[in-house]
Amino acid sequence: MFRCFLAGRPTKNRAKIAQKNMEYDTIVIGAGLAGLTAANARAARGERVLLLAKGHGACQWASGCVDLLDAPEHPLAAIAQLAAKHPLHPYARVGPAALHGGLKLLQSACSKMGYPLVGSPTQTLRLPTALGALRPTSLVPLTMVAGEARQLAAGGPLLIAGFRALRDFFPPLIAANLRTQGFPATSCYLTMPNSERQRDFTPMNLAHLFERPAFRENVAQQLRAHVRQGGYTRIGLPAVLGLHHAVTVVQALQQTSNALIFEIPTPPTSIPGMRLAHALEQAARQAGVHIQLGSWVVRGSGSQKRLETIYSAAAAREQRHHAQHWVLATGGILGGGIRREPQGALRETALGLPVHSPSQANEWFHPHLFAPGGHPIFQAGIATDQHLRPLDAAGQIMYTNVMIVGSALAHCDPLREGCREGIAVATGYKES
Amino acid sequence: MTNYDIAIIGGGATGLGCAFDLALRGLRCVLVEKGDLASGTTGRYHGLLHSGGRYVTKDPQSATECARENTILRRIMPHCLEATGGFFVITPWDDPLYGDQFVANCHKTGVPVQELALATMLRREPLLNPRITRAFEVLDGSADSFLASQSLALAAKACGAQILTYHHLDALVRDGDRVVGALVTDLRSGTQQRITCAYVLNASGAWAGQVAAMAGVKLSVVPGKGTMVAMNQRMVNTVINRCKLPADGDIIVPIHSVAVIGTTDVQVTDPDNYPIEAHEIAFMLAEGEKLIPGFSHYRALRAWAGVRPLYQDRDTPSAAERDISRTFKLLDHAARDGVEGFISIVGGKWTTCRLMAEAAANLIAQRMGNTQPCRTASEILPRPGAEGHGFYYLGQHLAAVEAQQAAGDLICECELVTRERVEAALADGITTLDDIRRTLRVGMGPCQGGWCIYRTAALLHEYQAQHATSHPINPNQALRDFLQARWKGLRPVLWGDQLRQARLDEQIYVGLLGVDRLPDV
Amino acid sequence: MNHPPPLNQGLDQCIKCNICTSACPVAAVSDRFPGPKYVGPQAQRFRREGQPVPDDSVDYCSGCRVCNEVCPTGVPIAQLNARARAQIVAERGVPLRNWLIARTDMIGRLSAGPQAPLVNFVLRLAPTRWLAHYILGIHRHAPLPLARRHTFRAWVAERRVQGTGNREQGTGNREQGTENREQGTENREQRTENREQGTENREQGTEKSVLSSPSRLTPPTSTPPTSTPPTSTPPTFSPHASSPHASSPHASPIVYFHGCATQAYEPHVGQAALAVLEHHGYEVLVPPQNCCGLPLISNGDFVAARRAHLTNVRHLLAYVRQGIPVVGTSTSCTLTLKEEAPEILGLHSADVQLLAAHTYDLFEFLRLLAEAGQLRRDFRPMARQLPYHIPCQYRAHRIGQPVVDVLSLIPGLQLSLSPAACCGIAGTYGIKREKYAIAMAVGQPLFNFIRQSGSDLALCDSETCRWQISHATGVATKHPIELLAEAYNLSYYQS
Repeated sequence: MFRCFLAGRPTKNRAKIAQKNMEYDTIVIGAGLAGLTAANARAARGERVLLLAKGHGACQWASGCVDLLDAPEHPLAAIAQLAAKHPLHPYARVGPAALHGGLKLLQSACSKMGYPLVGSPTQTLRLPTALGALRPTSLVPLTMVAGEARQLAAGGPLLIAGFRALRDFFPPLIAANLRTQGFPATSCYLTMPNSERQRDFTPMNLAHLFERPAFRENVAQQLRAHVRQGGYTRIGLPAVLGLHHAVTVVQALQQTSNALIFEIPTPPTSIPGMRLAHALEQAARQAGVHIQLGSWVVRGSGSQKRLETIYSAAAAREQRHHAQHWVLATGGILGGGIRREPQGALRETALGLPVHSPSQANEWFHPHLFAPGGHPIFQAGIATDQHLRPLDAAGQIMYTNVMIVGSALAHCDPLREGCREGIAVATGYKES
Repeated sequence: MTNYDIAIIGGGATGLGCAFDLALRGLRCVLVEKGDLASGTTGRYHGLLHSGGRYVTKDPQSATECARENTILRRIMPHCLEATGGFFVITPWDDPLYGDQFVANCHKTGVPVQELALATMLRREPLLNPRITRAFEVLDGSADSFLASQSLALAAKACGAQILTYHHLDALVRDGDRVVGALVTDLRSGTQQRITCAYVLNASGAWAGQVAAMAGVKLSVVPGKGTMVAMNQRMVNTVINRCKLPADGDIIVPIHSVAVIGTTDVQVTDPDNYPIEAHEIAFMLAEGEKLIPGFSHYRALRAWAGVRPLYQDRDTPSAAERDISRTFKLLDHAARDGVEGFISIVGGKWTTCRLMAEAAANLIAQRMGNTQPCRTASEILPRPGAEGHGFYYLGQHLAAVEAQQAAGDLICECELVTRERVEAALADGITTLDDIRRTLRVGMGPCQGGWCIYRTAALLHEYQAQHATSHPINPNQALRDFLQARWKGLRPVLWGDQLRQARLDEQIYVGLLGVDRLPDV
Repeated sequence: MNHPPPLNQGLDQCIKCNICTSACPVAAVSDRFPGPKYVGPQAQRFRREGQPVPDDSVDYCSGCRVCNEVCPTGVPIAQLNARARAQIVAERGVPLRNWLIARTDMIGRLSAGPQAPLVNFVLRLAPTRWLAHYILGIHRHAPLPLARRHTFRAWVAERRVQGTGNREQGTGNREQGTENREQGTENREQRTENREQGTENREQGTEKSVLSSPSRLTPPTSTPPTSTPPTSTPPTFSPHASSPHASSPHASPIVYFHGCATQAYEPHVGQAALAVLEHHGYEVLVPPQNCCGLPLISNGDFVAARRAHLTNVRHLLAYVRQGIPVVGTSTSCTLTLKEEAPEILGLHSADVQLLAAHTYDLFEFLRLLAEAGQLRRDFRPMARQLPYHIPCQYRAHRIGQPVVDVLSLIPGLQLSLSPAACCGIAGTYGIKREKYAIAMAVGQPLFNFIRQSGSDLALCDSETCRWQISHATGVATKHPIELLAEAYNLSYYQS
């Protein structure tokens, strides 16, 4: 799968290349969408890249769609307005070219995996959630597109189907909520096809099962029976329809059932989110990026505004890493790049960079969980200049060879603003 | 209109104890509770089954009562208790001379105590401060007050008592100098009914003053706010008390999968509305450090507060909160205020709830000419469901999940609640997410509902769709309300991993499920 | 705080996100294991010392540490599981089968030596396997290594008596290394300080033959003037008192930790390691040592594991006190010395920490040499393309892929990296009757990868993984050090 050939590139000066195997032009810290985008973008520009991360990134906690901005109609136009109004917002910092570049990179990596992302930054799509709410997004995998609200509204009767053994997907509730929003939805539970697995039907385990032709054929036959009986034109299923061959699975189900199939993302682990990460990981490996997981960056050192060395925790002793350039993609409070000390201040966890927080600590949390605009603390992050270089409290550049990307950036709550993936790919793509 | 001997106001430990005691004597009781059982102070305490040690010096009567009741409760409701044992420890911050006084007073008050070698103490609780200078072992335990309330309610119902939860007390009905009944409204259907009875027993704890006012009686009950913090894991398996006069933040109680540190004691005006202050949390974590070095670096799950019903006698109107007696008072308003048919039981603590009920029931029974003796000290309480034998132990649910190989069927993963148990609770008529939480501990673990409440709400929806429900609950609203209620307890402790968890929960509910975008219906 | 935070504190970091469960290779193939999140940080909140163990499914954790590797919040899941398993053992005792297979050094002692052919013959008889399967619980198809007539230590001793070694072989190649030596100059200055610490010790060492003096098989008697406590990890590479091949006329000493497998079944791995180290001018010492204790840890026998580790600490302390590094070819042995034993067994004494701080996986050490410009480059080209699987126990060192970094210096050699998480065997896990099928299923992606590579040889650092790969695919496997020795043109087979 992720076969790659590391050594033996034909070259005149072998020794030099070989020596370089342990030296990197850029080290990217963090394996989420921003870090993976940065690693790919830099490898594509000919750099030798190491991607260093604590573990798997936050993609597995997200929908697997690409949210650009929670805007009623035209995300791109709304982003331009936002950037004009908030010059410190990461979107304002990177500009539209980086967003386009990042999206293209992501789409290309996904297409290569046979898992195309469809949609456009100029249009807001609304997709049903595992609660039956409609959530705005911009690019969606081919496996979800038939669930888009406009299509649902135009189409005929709709079936939401799942498995009782999957504890993160409840068709009756989804269908009921869709009905209250005017969609003719019905629900059913399917019978779990026989396999050697008797229990523990996690999204991941189901994804593996769906990659088996016999398993999905059984499900397809059940769906076909429902379609014959109920005349459904579309069927929503939990987003567990295969990990590596989701499009194939969906096509097979459509063919047999005679209805359009769409996936609905489940709570974590989100298989569609994992697919995005896989696509970018594979592209990165093919481009020669080294990926090292399980490694916590604990500190860095440098001089004259250049970061020269970082240290990651390892068995018995720290590992030292050198590079010319660094990309910090460690995420925000969720990703772990930013952490609040007990009852105390916020700190940046890898390099100890100063964290910009938007208000006094006693105003960080709104009394209402779902207060519009979210909680101020989640706007906290690292302040940067327009090249995404980190700034200290006085506004001075801390390191000239470090870029901050993704959710670690200040002046944005990617979750509440509905721009998580947009910020990740745009800032990750940006050239230093 | 329904006729009873006694109407009991308040579905906490005291009211339920009274209902059981009176019903056991053959009296016809009805209990009125505005929320779920134990939704007031009973369900908001740290869960300590007192040995009595805490009160030996300042409140010897309470100490003796606790010691006696401790033995009785272990006999009648073992399934609600964990026999953790307790230590009283002298830290470098405490008066070293108090140790001897403590032991002497324990002996005086009948509280069993034994000094413990420090090496033994550290072997049993390795995380305790090695600078502790003396340690004494007592018979503290931890108590599941939700479960105890359910058991009491089951027992009371079995003797014919009627329990009306989610019934609001609109008014007490007076006929001249006599209270003759109550007007109550079913909060779910909105229908009002009139209850007539010979006696109204006011067992409404911190709300007793409000209830008494309905009878035209002035009763001064100070709501004493106690704030507690639950930590994500049990760093100790024994109740740890500071060996000193009772103060704030000096007890750590291991209960179920968490350890609770408590409490503060602050007089508040409104028992329904009181804030949790950041400085209270800071103080308690700092106190925790004295008992367990590194305490504040463990993950705090949530903070909450309950209001103690501290009765202020008319003679001592301005006592400081900690100085108000923790023993209870039985007030016969006929003698006290000239109002017949109305009795209040106030003060006290969870450990002595049975004794309080006994005292109240004795008085009422005597007035009503019932000569049956109190039997609650020897009646073993029934267990709701069929879980466990003897004392509760920590691994109980883990062992059950293992036996059923049900790990993949957990609805609440943190607290190991299977789908089967949630469905059984629904079938039992438990209909709100918060009641399911109290009954099963769904949503009480580290993720604070992040995974389980979506699932539970969906199961509730499915149950309602399949069974005729008189007053169905909107699952979307219930989901949001539940998360909001959890948020209230999370806000004071949001840092480190719990902040990260809260953000993941937000990612799930806002970023993945769009719960904030659902129409309200 | 001098003491590390209690292991249980690590469970606080779990945000229940399911990333570990989705990545767990065992949960993916078996219903018997409910996944790392469940048996780890979740169940741990319900376990209490002194109370009956409520769950057995934790025994299905293979200990591969993939969960630790992917966890974004740093929960020490594998360690929690190891502790939980030990609690079961503490309560119920070690089953005979586990008692036996965890004593790898004892088994090695009983089977390797002159009796090896007989032992190998008997152990491979169908009735023996049948009995082992049904009576003992060792799966009848589980891979069994071949015991050797000549053990590694016997070879070392023989060599000592003969007073010969690979030294001569190495000398011939010295000149080729000169150009590389130049590159290392700039690094030398920072290393001078380290060298000085070791001077006293080096003078005691013999110059001529690596293992010519019997006294070098036992710890040097002198204690160092000051041993820097390695509690804070050295930020720069300081292979302690050692110096590379060219910088000193004296050979710098290095301790080789061979582990049970090299001793009894694969002496050639140790021979290759010695050849490569000597090729770099090291005087390789092979002091007495015993099993690292990992099989005991994996089988929950913490009492015996502590004993094993503390004995090793005793054996090796005199060396590491002088700053002599300890290198090993078995990634799981070195991981145990570095981290598993201290962390899981709760051994945190200064001596234990000192040994941990001085222990390196061999390729980790060689990569450090390379980074310092001190790795010899006198490779002969190898026009080969080989599949390489980095064992999970190697990834658990969290140092990237030293083998890939070093072997990629060999001209013409191409490595294709296995994408698989684990081969399944996980030490003794996959030979157990009830777990064999799980282990084989876990390894399936790796086996497919190796088969599809079409190669007749695969590389892997860990011995049990190699046996598992060969067992499942029929493809021969080698330790990467063997390949490196070949690339240096060192003939190292002495037995």
